[in-house]
Amino acid sequence: MEPVAEDGVGIELRLRLRELADELIPAADGMPAASDVGVADVQLDRVLAARPDLVAPLRAAFARPAGAAVEWLERLAVEDPAGYEAVLLAVVGGYYTDREVRRRLGYRGQEPNPVQPEIIPNYVEEGLLDAVLERGQRYRDAPEERSEPTTQAGDP
Amino acid sequence: MSGSAEKTEVLIVGAGASGGVVGRRLAENGIRVACLEQGYWPDPATYPAPRPEYELLSRKQWSGSPNIRGLREDYPVDDAESDIAPLMFNGVGGSLVLYAGDWCRMRPSDFRVRTLDGVADDWPISYSELQPHYERTDLEFDAAGLGDDPSMPPGASPPLPPLPIGKGALRVARAHTRLGWHWWPGTNSVVSVARGSKRVCVQWGTCMQGCPEGAKASTDLTHWPAAIEHGAQVITGARVTRVVLGPSGLATGVEYVTLDGAERRHDADVVVLAANAIGTARLLLLSACPGHSDGLANGSGVVGRRLMVHPFANVTGIFDEDLESWRGHVGAKIVSYEFYETDASRDFVRGAKWSLAPTGGPINAALPTRAGESVWGAPHHAHVRERLGRSMSWGIFGEDLPDLENRVVLDRTLVDSSGLPAPKLHYRASEHSRRLLDFHIDRASESLREAGAHLIDVERLMRYSGWHLLGTARMGCDPANSVVDAWGRAHEVENLYVVDGSVFVTSGGVNPTSTIAAFASRVADRLIEARRDQRVAI
Repeated sequence: MEPVAEDGVGIELRLRLRELADELIPAADGMPAASDVGVADVQLDRVLAARPDLVAPLRAAFARPAGAAVEWLERLAVEDPAGYEAVLLAVVGGYYTDREVRRRLGYRGQEPNPVQPEIIPNYVEEGLLDAVLERGQRYRDAPEERSEPTTQAGDP
Repeated sequence: MSGSAEKTEVLIVGAGASGGVVGRRLAENGIRVACLEQGYWPDPATYPAPRPEYELLSRKQWSGSPNIRGLREDYPVDDAESDIAPLMFNGVGGSLVLYAGDWCRMRPSDFRVRTLDGVADDWPISYSELQPHYERTDLEFDAAGLGDDPSMPPGASPPLPPLPIGKGALRVARAHTRLGWHWWPGTNSVVSVARGSKRVCVQWGTCMQGCPEGAKASTDLTHWPAAIEHGAQVITGARVTRVVLGPSGLATGVEYVTLDGAERRHDADVVVLAANAIGTARLLLLSACPGHSDGLANGSGVVGRRLMVHPFANVTGIFDEDLESWRGHVGAKIVSYEFYETDASRDFVRGAKWSLAPTGGPINAALPTRAGESVWGAPHHAHVRERLGRSMSWGIFGEDLPDLENRVVLDRTLVDSSGLPAPKLHYRASEHSRRLLDFHIDRASESLREAGAHLIDVERLMRYSGWHLLGTARMGCDPANSVVDAWGRAHEVENLYVVDGSVFVTSGGVNPTSTIAAFASRVADRLIEARRDQRVAI
């Protein structure tokens, strides 16, 4: 029987995920491969700690026979959408929550950035609203009086 | 049901936008009010924005879909026969907790669709009747925007200046200037400058997963604390099972269950339903009783029918420039009403409002695109770099014409955590809606190309876009084809009111929250003015 880690995913699953993840996200363009940042190891632990609901669909997905990565994934998308989503989130979620990956992308995560109310908006300086105002009213006038209601309403 | 019940003058079901407006207004005017809310007070300390796993959490624990969240306080919705999945939040503040903050009004023509365009129905009220309440709720919800927009009638400017529009929206604004098309800074219910003790937006860019700063208006912050200060009660974890009628045919209160399973009763002189167009319709149907065998106040047969959800499309432009497009408020950087009104040269009537929004972080950029494109292998990195921070989306809200066949019914098998029948949706986007979206998608693509986008991703009729739940207890003057009158009062039960989006006669093509709040404000004032004349059960 396959050893199963305390988090509910086994070693075999991690091995297959690592192989798949490196085919989806290999080292290239100055970016590390998925396995370089531990997508099937420490980063999978991180993903599953945030999303324990992914354990079951991941196990179901990797209970299927292995195959060439992209073809295997495309087939999974059709036959097991929940498993497909779980695999993508495990790979992509693990990779893009890694600090070094984010640094190389120039993405520091969502962060506070106080509004600067004293700055005059560029659109005011450039007079962009003037053109809108010069065109005048852009809504249709409507009467206060109303028509009688119908009992069935739908497409014209 | 046995045992004694609490009693208040007014009982509100649902602590979201409309319930909050009514609850606060009544409490501040000395009326004893209680609110039953099946969810709980949200805890901003748990909002996921600061966490590296934010994008993962937003797809489950902080999803807008009750089916995906699956919390005990949520109720499941059978949406297998619906083109659009419903979105909502069950808790104090309601769906405002997870909404984008896009705060816009319907236009005068939206209230006269039958008169002007020969389809659907006119509302029994007009824009001018609602305008004072729009202006009042602008204040209550910290509307931040710019006055004198020529796409709407003159009136008071929003109380706060607009939020920064950012680099991407500036590019699009310049493009619209070249095209000669309307654009305007978006109005958002987000505190944009220091105002009393309120927190100012710090542009987390996570409005739809809760604002950790507390700068986005939601009634857990803007209304219920003030209501409670004036004596209102908010009872959480309380799921209403039915509205109870007395021998006189008037409502005597409601029965509810706690999420621990205890059965309770709450008596009231007036019952106000504010549970959104799915929850309110469900409750009316669950409240069937002798004399109301097809559901309470449903002599017309339209309770649950005419469900409208706004067919929605997303058109995303990919630019060469770093626009930092994971930053800033999510609601609307800028808006365009260029194609909002009917144009006889098109093959549809009515139109859509556009809101320009940021596009999120790297997980969003890496997953299959809105067009369904997956890029793996070595090119994956270029694909992500091309999109992350370099894209902006026009969100297109198409007017959804009412159709009796689009409806909420009670599911025969699916139940919530209290064992109550869940709602089931039957909703199909019409060919008319699809034509409308196709036209707007083409124009929005033109807008983004003019702004310099070198790639356009389109998601037509986005499934997970059902935030705007409208129309299932429509207002009207004729009890034969409407559920409530122009004051939200049920034709058949004189002390039962509906104040949420259920009452909408038509949908308009804009985000509805401002209109929902304005209508609730109008009803609240009426309840206060007519208090002495209100018939109540003895």
